[in-house]
Amino acid sequence: MSRPLNSDQFTLQFFQQRLALRVNKTVIYALALVTLLLFALMLWSLFVGSYQLSIAQVIATLTNPQPGSPSSDVIWLFRFPRTLAAILVGIMMALSGAVLQNITRNSLADPSLVGISQGAALAVVVAIIAFPDLDKSYRSVLAFAGSTSVAALIMLLSHSKHNHKPMRFILLGIALSAFLSAVTTAYLTYGQLYQASAALGWLAGNIDGVNWLDVKILCYSSLCLLPILLIQSRAMAVVRLGDTNAIALGVNLDWMKYSLVATSVALAATATSVVGPIGFIGLIAPHAARRVCTSGVMGHLLLSALIGGLLLLVADVLGRRLIAPSQLPAGVLTQIIGVPIFVYLLLRKKTLPSS
Amino acid sequence: MNTSTLVLKQSSKKYQWAMALLYCAVSVLFLAHLAIGAKALTIEQLLAAFSAFDRNNFDHIIIWNIRLPRALIAISVGASLAVAGAIMQGVTKNPLASPSILGLLAGAAFAIVVALGWFGIDSPLYTPWIAALGASSAALLVGFIAHAAPGGATPHNLTLAGAAVSAFLAAIVTVFQLSNEDDFDDLREWLSGSLAGNNIEVVIAIAPWMILAMLAAILLSNKITLLAMGDETAKGLGLSTTRLKIQLMLTVVMLTACSVAMAGPVGFIGLVIPHISRFFIGADYRKVIPFSALLGACFLLGVDIIARVVISPAEISTGIATAIIGAPIFVYLIKAKLA
Repeated sequence: MSRPLNSDQFTLQFFQQRLALRVNKTVIYALALVTLLLFALMLWSLFVGSYQLSIAQVIATLTNPQPGSPSSDVIWLFRFPRTLAAILVGIMMALSGAVLQNITRNSLADPSLVGISQGAALAVVVAIIAFPDLDKSYRSVLAFAGSTSVAALIMLLSHSKHNHKPMRFILLGIALSAFLSAVTTAYLTYGQLYQASAALGWLAGNIDGVNWLDVKILCYSSLCLLPILLIQSRAMAVVRLGDTNAIALGVNLDWMKYSLVATSVALAATATSVVGPIGFIGLIAPHAARRVCTSGVMGHLLLSALIGGLLLLVADVLGRRLIAPSQLPAGVLTQIIGVPIFVYLLLRKKTLPSS
Repeated sequence: MNTSTLVLKQSSKKYQWAMALLYCAVSVLFLAHLAIGAKALTIEQLLAAFSAFDRNNFDHIIIWNIRLPRALIAISVGASLAVAGAIMQGVTKNPLASPSILGLLAGAAFAIVVALGWFGIDSPLYTPWIAALGASSAALLVGFIAHAAPGGATPHNLTLAGAAVSAFLAAIVTVFQLSNEDDFDDLREWLSGSLAGNNIEVVIAIAPWMILAMLAAILLSNKITLLAMGDETAKGLGLSTTRLKIQLMLTVVMLTACSVAMAGPVGFIGLVIPHISRFFIGADYRKVIPFSALLGACFLLGVDIIARVVISPAEISTGIATAIIGAPIFVYLIKAKLA
């Protein structure tokens, strides 16, 4: 990089500049802080719940697991997978939202707002009610099919030769998601009560009841998708400059957009298939990260991901505590917290992050 | 006779024909709605049920207790939501304005859920007022957010604010549903917008308020046309726009609230019907309002018949049917009107 850097910035380069990362120190500090918070919260999440455990017990169980003892079972079978799932889903939703906001150049884009989550939701709810015997592992395939179709439909509909309005993507997404939720709600009336309850619990975004298999699914898919995202992040920086500039700089814009949308949808779909639609994390986390990391893509993505994981973990722990012994689904909490933030963003002067 | 009055005469003749046709359509669909269903009935049986009601005849009981209330609800809800949408689109000059998009339906539904879940109120004497409170609060909130947003109350901002408020209220309704599954199981169907399961008392208790609001809409309709020309023009023509807007808002809220109290949130009618009406008879709201009312009634009667026939003897929820028909039109409107 020939550009002179300020004293509070430095550049990391990998693979002969295929991956170059210019970061300022604030971002590094922020990353460190969020990571610390995340670990602290993980511990807290392990000993919060209806089965009382002391911190000493938690640490003893973690360092020396004894399968069969109640404290070990509570932690290793319930709380630990749940905590990891919350973090992973938060990370994936945040990244999905960040990518979507970048491509559409609209700060209000969020997978749960434009119908991507609702597409997954409809597919899974239909499966839960129409084929109650279907194995849970098919859900991710169905959710993926549902979200991809919705995303394709929005892209197709909002595509226009004359004027590409970022707003149109959102409005069409809202129309589609209203439609899909109407169908989902109405479809819920067909099933037996217990099936409908199961579907409703899933629809509310419930991290309760994940097992190690779910965590594995989340882990493997993040491991597949994150490198793809890192490779794309360089092009994302260019897409942020606007369509004309990106084309002038030699980006194959259409291909880039479709591949980025595919990554974003894949992230949201996998996360949704495991825990249900989680609203507004994809909206809040990238904005919070943008406050600290005002330019650049890589740092922003990393920070968004960590903040997303943190937020969803907080929502999950709060959901366990607020109306204990009953539990509030994390997805509902994120939605209740997310809407006021959405309104705040709507009220702010700037609606485009990069123009 | 100069040309302009001639044009007016011609268009009013077309309008009268269209209205006559719609009246016929409503009557035919009304009878069809009563006759078609899980148990098909003949016209003779229908007439007999009205002229010589026999308490021991099972068919007569079906008609009076199940089908008649349902058909009346379809007519009144369809007409009310269509008129509410027409007024909103006229006043705000916003092609996307409608009770569902701007959060009124969600607000009314939320208020009814709270009233039922917390206070156990489900009498049709109170539900319209509770729904009205919810709908007007939601409308005010959405309007306030959109006005405060940069650019003011544009269709974009109103739609986004409406979506946000609806999402928020829906999340809270989900919390109630999950925290008390037994009570809210009954609401499950109602929340999807259902015409089934009401008796004639509900119609009798709520219909008078609907009729009042409908009369108000028709009385105010000539002024809506002026308002739709722009606030400046309306003021120049001697209209007190603020007072008029408040009157119209109250009318819209009442129409929406009564519909929700009867059938739950039925989406898309208020958005789609006014557009079709204006397509056929132009922008004169003296005609758009009655035309929308009849068309809305026809639409919901027709949709409800289809919903009962397609997978007979089970039924598709009316909410699904209106959404399936309404969503493509909404997409078209965004593409065509906001381009």
